[in-house]
Amino acid sequence: MIGVGKIKQYSNVLDKPLSKGKQEVSLSAFSFLFSELVQYNQTQVDNIAELERRLEDAGYSVGARVLELLCHREKGNRRETRLLGILSFVHSTVWKVLFGKVADSLEKGTEHEDEYMISEKELLVNRFISIPKDMGTFNCGAFVAGIVRGVLDGAGFPAVVTAHFVPVEGQQRPRTTILIKFAEEVLRREARLG
Amino acid sequence: MVKSETFPASRNRVEKVNAELVTLTYGTIVAQLCQDYENNYAQVNQQLDKMGYNIGVRLIEDYLAKTATARCNNFRETADMISKIGFKIFLNTTPTATNWSADGKSFSLILDENPLADFVELPDDGRAQDELWFSNILCGVLRGALEMVQMSIEAHFVSDTLRGNDSTEMRVTLLKYIDDELPPDDD
Amino acid sequence: MQFFGGSDVSPSPPAPTAAGHNANVMYMFNRNGVCLFYREWNRPLRTLNPQQDHKLMFGLLFSLKSLTAKMDPTSGDKGNLGVPQLPGQGCSFHSFRTNTYKLSFMESPSGIKIILVTHPRTGDLREALKYIYSLYVEYVAKNPLYNPGTPVRCDLFDTNLDQYVRSIS
Repeated sequence: MIGVGKIKQYSNVLDKPLSKGKQEVSLSAFSFLFSELVQYNQTQVDNIAELERRLEDAGYSVGARVLELLCHREKGNRRETRLLGILSFVHSTVWKVLFGKVADSLEKGTEHEDEYMISEKELLVNRFISIPKDMGTFNCGAFVAGIVRGVLDGAGFPAVVTAHFVPVEGQQRPRTTILIKFAEEVLRREARLG
Repeated sequence: MVKSETFPASRNRVEKVNAELVTLTYGTIVAQLCQDYENNYAQVNQQLDKMGYNIGVRLIEDYLAKTATARCNNFRETADMISKIGFKIFLNTTPTATNWSADGKSFSLILDENPLADFVELPDDGRAQDELWFSNILCGVLRGALEMVQMSIEAHFVSDTLRGNDSTEMRVTLLKYIDDELPPDDD
Repeated sequence: MQFFGGSDVSPSPPAPTAAGHNANVMYMFNRNGVCLFYREWNRPLRTLNPQQDHKLMFGLLFSLKSLTAKMDPTSGDKGNLGVPQLPGQGCSFHSFRTNTYKLSFMESPSGIKIILVTHPRTGDLREALKYIYSLYVEYVAKNPLYNPGTPVRCDLFDTNLDQYVRSIS
């Protein structure tokens, strides 16, 4: 279970045969479900920041679950221990499973050592959205940021992850950048590993 | 409800995503509701149905845009469209419409596959197994979608393999056809 | 279909010269008569306030639908004049033309009505209206921030619509 409540963790699920992950459903099914997730959460909050936080939380549990599934299925329970390894795991393996493609780009921040960016020209959750002016910088990508944080956290790479629109020259629509800022301990460990 | 032919333009081809994205997202929604409603499963069921209704109201437009439109002659045709076209387009599965009532107004959908409930376990708090209808959102989706094409229906689950039942069965009943509204009076 | 008055009393507007200037106005209503969307590309004359204008348009469509179905010589199965019909029931009109404009109309079985007013010499726009409906599905119905039944304010829809409408001939 994806954790209905906190009562049951994921223990027994691994005893069951896992789905092969090849089954597909329509993109619309996801889009409508996601829309309703946003609509429902709008009724539970007073402001945009809180809405993004709730979407991020929802994403986090998806991310944690995806990590479990993928480690079991694709890596024989071997986990990444190095920073670049886990980043490339998120950028390619996780992205491919969830969004059917590798992310458009993975870059290191130029100003801060601890920052990395995964960018997507047209992030699935932002594909059909028009954001009214009164919602300011609201970004549904918070859900995907949550997924990324869930995966990283589960793999032992705690980070603050946020989603941002970045204008692209010559394009009407901005791209979405998922900004990952790793916790200090992660960088210290990485330095020790050399 | 409408009979279906494929619309010629390529813009209406059905784009796909991995079913796991939907499964995991749906699981997260149920988990959020269980938390928000402090595991009051009756309320969770109700909220899921309501969310499904909201989805149905939007989803029917996508269904209509993707399929050509001719009115169904009777509720049996409608049931066929739901299982063979609706479920097929959106969830890539085809439940069986069966157990018709004598008056032709109510039937069961048997879901042999249910992408929403793949690798799901209900919480073992001793209550969820009896009280939570995990996939209840689907009842709301049907209610919302059919209401938009002028059919008022009632839908509920009567069994679920997640609860240990042999099958997952939803009961759907036609209440009435809804008339178009007259334009508002001048005042 | 010619309404009220002689055929060519007033001159028809100049024929469109380049592609892209054929559309004048578009309306979109839901079943309850709520005007979900209104857009003007070219409408110099405005005599009514917008609410009256929308109401009049919805009323016109309602009456026309009912009237055209009543006049249908091929079917014996008709309701009484003024009695609502289910979408897709009976016959339905898809356009009428005056000397100065053409009005094209479609209604989805879910009661979404799309009305496009264009230059009188534009061709059959039934496919164009279906396309506009599919734009509505993509950029309105699937927009997570749109509340069904409320006026449409979606940039993506506007941009794509404007772009498409320019291609109508």
